[in-house]
Amino acid sequence: MLVAASALLAAGCGHAAPPTTLTVLAAASLRDAFRAAATAYASTHPGIGLTFSFDASSALRAQVEQGAPADVFASADVANPDQLVSAGRTIGPATPFAGNRLALIVPAANPAGIAAPADLARPGVALLTASANVPIAIYAMRVIANLAAEPGAPAGFAAAVERNIVSREDNAAAVVAKVVLGEADAAFVYATDARAAGAAVRSIPLPDRVNVTAAYAAVVARQAHDPAAAAAFVAWLAGADGRSVLAPFGFAPPP
Amino acid sequence: MTTLVFARDRRDSLLAGALPRFVAAGWVLFLGLPIAALLVRAATVGRFDDAAAGRAVLDALVLSLVTTAISLGLAVLFGLPVAWLLARRPPRGAVLLETLIDLPIVLPPSVAGLALLLVFGRQGVLGGPLAAMGFSIPFSTIAVIIAQTFVAAPFFIRAARAGLRSVHRDLEDAARVDGGGEVAVALSVTLPLAAPALAAGLVMAWARALGEFGATIMFAGNLEGRTQTLPLLVYSEFQASSDAAVVAASILVVAAFGVLLGVRLARRGSVTELGGAG
Repeated sequence: MLVAASALLAAGCGHAAPPTTLTVLAAASLRDAFRAAATAYASTHPGIGLTFSFDASSALRAQVEQGAPADVFASADVANPDQLVSAGRTIGPATPFAGNRLALIVPAANPAGIAAPADLARPGVALLTASANVPIAIYAMRVIANLAAEPGAPAGFAAAVERNIVSREDNAAAVVAKVVLGEADAAFVYATDARAAGAAVRSIPLPDRVNVTAAYAAVVARQAHDPAAAAAFVAWLAGADGRSVLAPFGFAPPP
Repeated sequence: MTTLVFARDRRDSLLAGALPRFVAAGWVLFLGLPIAALLVRAATVGRFDDAAAGRAVLDALVLSLVTTAISLGLAVLFGLPVAWLLARRPPRGAVLLETLIDLPIVLPPSVAGLALLLVFGRQGVLGGPLAAMGFSIPFSTIAVIIAQTFVAAPFFIRAARAGLRSVHRDLEDAARVDGGGEVAVALSVTLPLAAPALAAGLVMAWARALGEFGATIMFAGNLEGRTQTLPLLVYSEFQASSDAAVVAASILVVAAFGVLLGVRLARRGSVTELGGAG
């Protein structure tokens, strides 16, 4: 039993283990792009491996604060990394590395018959978002406020939309997953996630003037076990190489 | 010779007394320190400055109490007949049935949540037709109760089954000889004798329902006042680096400890031991 377990452990971490493994805590919306980035990075940086933990940026920031083993923290906003910087929990400042936009998605079958953002205020629409401090929820609230400020928007639009929120999920990926499953009628998600969801969801056109730009930024955690390697990865991410890996997933250069 | 005997005596007393005590002290520290750290942190939070967070904690507390009470009621309503059947008239294939009934105890809650979503979700086997009738279960308080009942009821059924099995048939037969009907015998003999085991099962089920997190967040979602129970609030508020997480966590610790202790004291002197092991 013990022998089998140790053999399993050896097989799990033994085969060609890179001398340095960077632990990267990253926003859930970066999952696909960062997995691709890991492959690209490994080909040009032999000896450096990347392991990821994806979750809400706010949850990951809390983990870094608690001293979780982390080398790099890549957030879907600038506020969370900045909070760590000003608390002295990083090595160096936050580095912006990507930009994103929001999309309004509904399940492919569009059960609530949503044709325009204005329909979100209709009673009974099951709108999904994330916990109030998760970046995607903050961006979504900004879009809702922009919609409410549009000329011709009915009075109490924002309040009516907020009343339709049926759940505040862990992170942006969980929001997308439940719209894909058809459990909710609509959600504001990252444009990159809407694109990755493909035919399972439908995007409702969102005028550019009400949309917001998400700025993604990364920091090297103070507890990084290899600060130089961590800083090199962040520099790569924010540079031309990193951008060319992120671009196919729909990420823009940082705003 | 005598020194050898003394040596053995000393070794025995070390193994029987000092060593277990030393290990136990370490274990108590391991359990006690995190709990103490939580309570001390909560005590230093003092007064809540954040009124909104305070209301969220209160909402979550009320929701947790109401939903676990209903879940417990459902566990008894459905669990007692099932336990009775398994204890008294085990059907063919009882082993398979008992295994199925115990399954949620070992299932990771996230698996339970996903499975419930596939059945009761809007695209689900049962949830689909219900949604077509305009009745949607996910993200509702009903979903919280379904999740809690799913994961917690097995603890009650397990204990009740063992408790009912341990009641001697002779006592029931004697009551029947005295002219008692089946229902009267059950109410006046069987259930009272099995009561300690039933109570122990209830407490275990309640504790499991109160602590339920994974299935709830996957199946019922997370919304203040509707589906955000105390464990979900702890998780959400922790992300916001809010003191509310520590306060809510402390409420859970104190409530769980209080109930376990209360039951233990109430059962003091009772002959039957915990039926949970059955």
